[in-house]
Amino acid sequence: MFCLSELEDTVRVPPHLLNGPLEDAIKEVLQKLFLDKVLSIGLCVSIYDIRSVKGGFVLPGDGAPTYKVRFRIVVFRPFVGEVIAAKFKESDSNGLRLTLGFFEDVYVPAPLIPTPNRCEPDPYNRNQMRWVWQYEGEEFIIDDSCQIKFRVENISYPPVPIERAEDAKPFAPMVVTGTIDDDGLGPVSWWEACAPISDQD
Amino acid sequence: MKNKIVKANAGALTNFEVIELLNSRGASKDTSTRVMGLKDKVSKSEYKVYDYLMETAASTQTRESVTTFSDKCKDFKLAKAEILNIINLRPSSDVELTPILEKPDERGIDIEGILELVNELLPPLPTVETLEETEQEETENVEQEETAV
Repeated sequence: MFCLSELEDTVRVPPHLLNGPLEDAIKEVLQKLFLDKVLSIGLCVSIYDIRSVKGGFVLPGDGAPTYKVRFRIVVFRPFVGEVIAAKFKESDSNGLRLTLGFFEDVYVPAPLIPTPNRCEPDPYNRNQMRWVWQYEGEEFIIDDSCQIKFRVENISYPPVPIERAEDAKPFAPMVVTGTIDDDGLGPVSWWEACAPISDQD
Repeated sequence: MKNKIVKANAGALTNFEVIELLNSRGASKDTSTRVMGLKDKVSKSEYKVYDYLMETAASTQTRESVTTFSDKCKDFKLAKAEILNIINLRPSSDVELTPILEKPDERGIDIEGILELVNELLPPLPTVETLEETEQEETENVEQEETAV
């Protein structure tokens, strides 16, 4: 789910940060620059450490030193095939949308919901459609009652749109597509009755 | 400003390691101490990650339990990514474990053995309420100890 990436950047440290240790000042600038941002490698979560700091030149006409910094950051970048527990966010006729709290662009499209299924208007929420998996005469509803496990199918980084339709959803720079069409995936309550291993002590 | 990606993948982290990193910065479960100011070292987005992780199995793990588990997993012919996924999810039954593994039948993986190892070494999920009172007390004690530290 998380991994480390090593980056190099030229960082301008504003003078008001320079009264403390340099490393802390650089870390603060880096945090402002990268945290909660999506790069081509994933969503930046936290600055891990600073490997090296070089330079410290004051460029002509500038009132602050500029450093060349090599550092490592923790990025959220799930790998294809990874199973992750998420929470239900919303669903419509196209499929489900799940959330991890800090990352909300996990989509489960309709073809990756276990079949046979049907999509019906949600009796509790007029704006929403809900999905029901029909299995051996029983009906399993997908709702927000418990955690939902999904397996990562694909991660994409859509290009920033040049034009935006008025009713378009907010732009998501990173989209994870997941599947719940396998044994053990989907809402955790579906599988709770399935032969839990008893504690052997 | 342009940044350069030196190494896109410098190693994977388990959820536990991310919690440990945020803990070392002073993140805590106590919401009252979270003042979002300039001096605050843990940012809002980091706290969102922290809150998510505290609900996962990683919140009760210790460095010792994770390392012994990954060492012992080497006997099972598992891929590194699969071991990582098992540590993050802590599957407690057959049906939870199989979606994590790729074609476990063809590779002849000892699922029972892995589950036993998980039960033995990794502490249970914080949300799972075990029926046995002794176990419940144990997990509570662990949590208290952690908050005390």
